[in-house]
Amino acid sequence: MSEGATTVMVVDDHPIWRDAVARDLAGDGFDVVATADGVGSARRRAAVVQPAVVVMDMRLADGDGAQATAEVLAVSPSSRVLVLSASDERDDVLEAVKAGATGYLVKSASRQELAEAVHATAQGRAVFTPGLAGLVLGEYRRIARDAAGSAEPKGPTLTDRETEVLRYVAKGLTAKQIASRLSLSHRTVENHVQATFHKLQIGNRVELARYAIEHGLDE
Amino acid sequence: MFRLLSCVYALGFQIAVNPDLEHRAAGWLLFAVLIMWSAACAVAYLQGFGRRPAWVIAEIVVVVALMLTTELIASDQWVLANQSWPTTLWATNATISAAILFGPIAGMLTGVVVMAAGAALKGYVHIDLSRNATIVIELAVGLAVGMAAQTARRAHAELEKAARLSASIEERERLSRQVHDGVIQVLALMARRGREIGGETAELAELAGEQERALRRLVSAGEAEPRDGATADIGALLRRRASDRVSVSVPAEPVLLEAAVADELFAAVCNALDNAETHAGPDARAYVLLEDLGDSVTVSVRDDGVGIPDGRLEEAVGQGRAGIAKSIVGRMDWLGGRAELSTGPGSGTEWELTVPRGSR
Repeated sequence: MSEGATTVMVVDDHPIWRDAVARDLAGDGFDVVATADGVGSARRRAAVVQPAVVVMDMRLADGDGAQATAEVLAVSPSSRVLVLSASDERDDVLEAVKAGATGYLVKSASRQELAEAVHATAQGRAVFTPGLAGLVLGEYRRIARDAAGSAEPKGPTLTDRETEVLRYVAKGLTAKQIASRLSLSHRTVENHVQATFHKLQIGNRVELARYAIEHGLDE
Repeated sequence: MFRLLSCVYALGFQIAVNPDLEHRAAGWLLFAVLIMWSAACAVAYLQGFGRRPAWVIAEIVVVVALMLTTELIASDQWVLANQSWPTTLWATNATISAAILFGPIAGMLTGVVVMAAGAALKGYVHIDLSRNATIVIELAVGLAVGMAAQTARRAHAELEKAARLSASIEERERLSRQVHDGVIQVLALMARRGREIGGETAELAELAGEQERALRRLVSAGEAEPRDGATADIGALLRRRASDRVSVSVPAEPVLLEAAVADELFAAVCNALDNAETHAGPDARAYVLLEDLGDSVTVSVRDDGVGIPDGRLEEAVGQGRAGIAKSIVGRMDWLGGRAELSTGPGSGTEWELTVPRGSR
């Protein structure tokens, strides 16, 4: 699998856009092994082709990108999901991250940015924007507020360093700039961001499992 | 329904009292008029053309006229001893009609008119309410039916308004989805391709990109109304400033503040953004971050422009030219909050604006 190009599946319900993205990626040396227009077709194809990276739109023919992310990762756990979405679809991007997406890029990004983002995603690095950092930060704060008033076990929390890094990202500093401000390596900064995504996913899974047990769905 | 029952009652009354009347044939003739008028009213109200002031006034006139004919067909003595001829119950139809159409006041007035006709017939007014409660009943019917009709009408209007609103929201969602699936995607694609090709096409791409963002804002405007009475979502307000050069990061959930506080904070952010636009340089971008810390709300406005050289701000203040900075600090003071500015040559400017949440 390490031989040859990175395999990619493009999921988008708009044919013109989907084909354009697929063509660009193929032109940049990726191996586009499948395209899909909805949750169902994405799941079926991912199960067969096991793509390294899934480029995922948030609005699909038969559901949303968060749902598709969860279903694709269920049948193809080694895949990594990069959300490529319009900038205004806020809450569902957060849902996609909770469902396991590790990257987010807006559709106005250039072809070069897209290629770099797919590379980074394939290498297991997080791809993020200031907007996404703001959402993730807000989500942790919400979890902390909710936990403060209840006896329920606490959800995921951020370390001080992670909060610091997320705030810088949300204020538009690049990983490199943050690294130099905090005297960290570029890679460590990325790891911090990735950790915040990952904890949200785990938290989400714990939440789902607790819900399932409470409602007797854990057969 | 009431009309039919009152007709049956009037028929019973007619059969029972007819032998006592002076002019029996005339009595039956007038009764036929009553039945025909009742039928006409029933049709008129059911079909809708009777639900107009003219028809209801006509009904009142007919009722009063029929009541007055008692004078012609019965002896004075009978009139004094009995209720007026077409029965008070039937006469109440007019009261009900007026109450339904014009409301409680008109209903009660009609009741008074009907009773006045009866009183005119007998030549005196029943003051003794304990023995003759007809006037009270007539007034009560007018009031109750009128108020019920008014309430029903209002409820109906509200319902219609709600139905219209939900229809327009649905329509907007449908449109939004269609625009999103078609036009926006194509515009986004044009913007992307155009930028790659460069040259003049890049300018076209910029235009397509601008239109794409404008459309996106338009179709999403319907979902988030930032203002709800006394509170406003500062996040929704800030998102309005998002553009190619301004990145706005907000939590997924609304961040509610007292409306006046939100407006003032938003105005301060706009000051800072405008300042960045004029001073940070042509290629600078600005970043807005909104954080809800529970007991306070913080908005950071950062630009990656040239920044303000050391001493430059103090100099400006000294010369009385620090208009915008002063206005931002002034607004935050007024809100009982803080405004902190950090800047340096080459490192851009960053405002951190914090407002406390009130006791609410």
